[in-house]
Amino acid sequence: MRLIVDELRVALPLIFHGDPYLLSTLWFTVQVAAISTAAACAIGVPLGLALGLGRFRGRRTLHWLANAGLAVPPVLVGLWLFLLLTPGSVLGGLGLLATRRVVFIAQAVLAVPYVVALTAAAIQGLGGGLLSQARALGAGRRQVSLLALREARVGVIAAVIAALGATLSEVGAIIIVGGNVYGYNQTLASGALYEAQAARYADAVALGIVLSVLILVLLGTLGAVQHRGRGIRLRFRWTG
Amino acid sequence: MSDVPAAAGPVGEPAGGRTLLSCDGLTVRRDGREVVRGVGLQLRAGEIVALLGPNGAGKSTLLEALVGALSTTAGRVERGGRIAIALQTSELARRTVLANVVLALAWWGVPRAQRAPRALQALRSLGAEHLADRQAGALSGGERRRVHLARILAAQPDVLLLDEPFAGLDAQARASLLEDAPAVLRSPERATLVVVHDRSEAWALADRLLIMIDGELVAAGPPRAVVERPPTPAVARFLGYDGSLRDAGMLVLTRPADVVLDPDGRLAGTVTRLTGLEDGTRLQIRLESGLVYAVGPVGGAGIGEPVRVSLRGGVRFPAIEDEPAASGE
Repeated sequence: MRLIVDELRVALPLIFHGDPYLLSTLWFTVQVAAISTAAACAIGVPLGLALGLGRFRGRRTLHWLANAGLAVPPVLVGLWLFLLLTPGSVLGGLGLLATRRVVFIAQAVLAVPYVVALTAAAIQGLGGGLLSQARALGAGRRQVSLLALREARVGVIAAVIAALGATLSEVGAIIIVGGNVYGYNQTLASGALYEAQAARYADAVALGIVLSVLILVLLGTLGAVQHRGRGIRLRFRWTG
Repeated sequence: MSDVPAAAGPVGEPAGGRTLLSCDGLTVRRDGREVVRGVGLQLRAGEIVALLGPNGAGKSTLLEALVGALSTTAGRVERGGRIAIALQTSELARRTVLANVVLALAWWGVPRAQRAPRALQALRSLGAEHLADRQAGALSGGERRRVHLARILAAQPDVLLLDEPFAGLDAQARASLLEDAPAVLRSPERATLVVVHDRSEAWALADRLLIMIDGELVAAGPPRAVVERPPTPAVARFLGYDGSLRDAGMLVLTRPADVVLDPDGRLAGTVTRLTGLEDGTRLQIRLESGLVYAVGPVGGAGIGEPVRVSLRGGVRFPAIEDEPAASGE
């Protein structure tokens, strides 16, 4: 207990005095979370919609892959990305290893299965009557998709929350492909790991506290939006 | 239509408006089974046609094929205008009632500026204007049905197909909607085909009645004529002729209203079952030549007592040797 108190006594001033390393890591983490989650949604929501609404060959396989993606360890994702990106490999020419950009890519790859699987499940959970009626009245694919997303919004927001959570807290993949370079491409989570491994526990605790607050604020905000349920207004433009 | 048995004379023919939808020899297979078989019908402007049949007869499948949502195995469908179908489920989007109707008009392709006025007009016609600002999730079953109908009517289609619009409603909501529906559905420019589950809905709504059994249209005509002169014993039984007896080489099918307890009646029988009704008792009476049902007073004849009955109606068919005269036991 005394150790914890001692570390907190050092860690809290780092937070409240705005330690430059901590602030830059926080800013990078926010960027990674926002951009990787947005990218995962851009890829995953259409895929989830297709899985939830479509009837095509290979749909069940895709669904199975998305569900399996939820259980794949981040370290494994990082390993495969490393093998793809390493010099001399398929994508080695891109020179992405140990860059900031590869951290965004790795976290987005990790988040995509969450968005796909949970969006598809939310869409499949809708009663089919409304969507069938929309089609029967001439709604096009885009209109039916927007309707499905809006009706399944609680589940879709849950998918976004899960993706955001993954991008904020997963470290296995980004350490392998990014190298966890101090002050350059570290997130709060990978930074905390770095500091802990170096036995600088007060710094690790400071990073951990900031990460926890960030998680609580971001996911709490999304959760509040989700639970507003009917009160939420997602503005989609319906075109005739 | 020609192969559909008409109840009498010209009754199978539709009224004289412009033909808006017709099909001939329409056959639809589902899961390797012919669900609709060789159906031919015409819908003309200004008429309301009821399609009645037992569960699994293929009514909903026929509607989906008519609207083009299902591919057909054989036959042709000619559409003379835009067709809207109101599916059996009245599921609404999570938004206000008005927004739901406006949304349906967007799907239908109505210009944005026209949507709200048309939506309000349709809600008004169904007595649901006061619900416009209410969230769909807060509606009762009857209100939801009205809104469901309003969003289809607002589209102003040339042909309106309704799949069991009164399904799942409690008696009061059903009676109320059934009271309003005929005036709302009837339009000189529109043809309406409505699938109903209950004969009384057909009487309340339709100019013509089509009976569908096992994927085939087996009778057509004005509702009264079809029920009074069903073309086959199978249709008669479906329409409520639950009593049957043999008389002078004929098969006679009767409804309870056709059988009267009469001490001087020509037919003698024994009461074999009693069922309480709201304002009387339903008696099952075994005759020497069959089994009939009649309605008697509360506290009348008991089980095992002999009674005499006379027939005030019923339909007669040539008796077929293997056709059982007595049913219901």
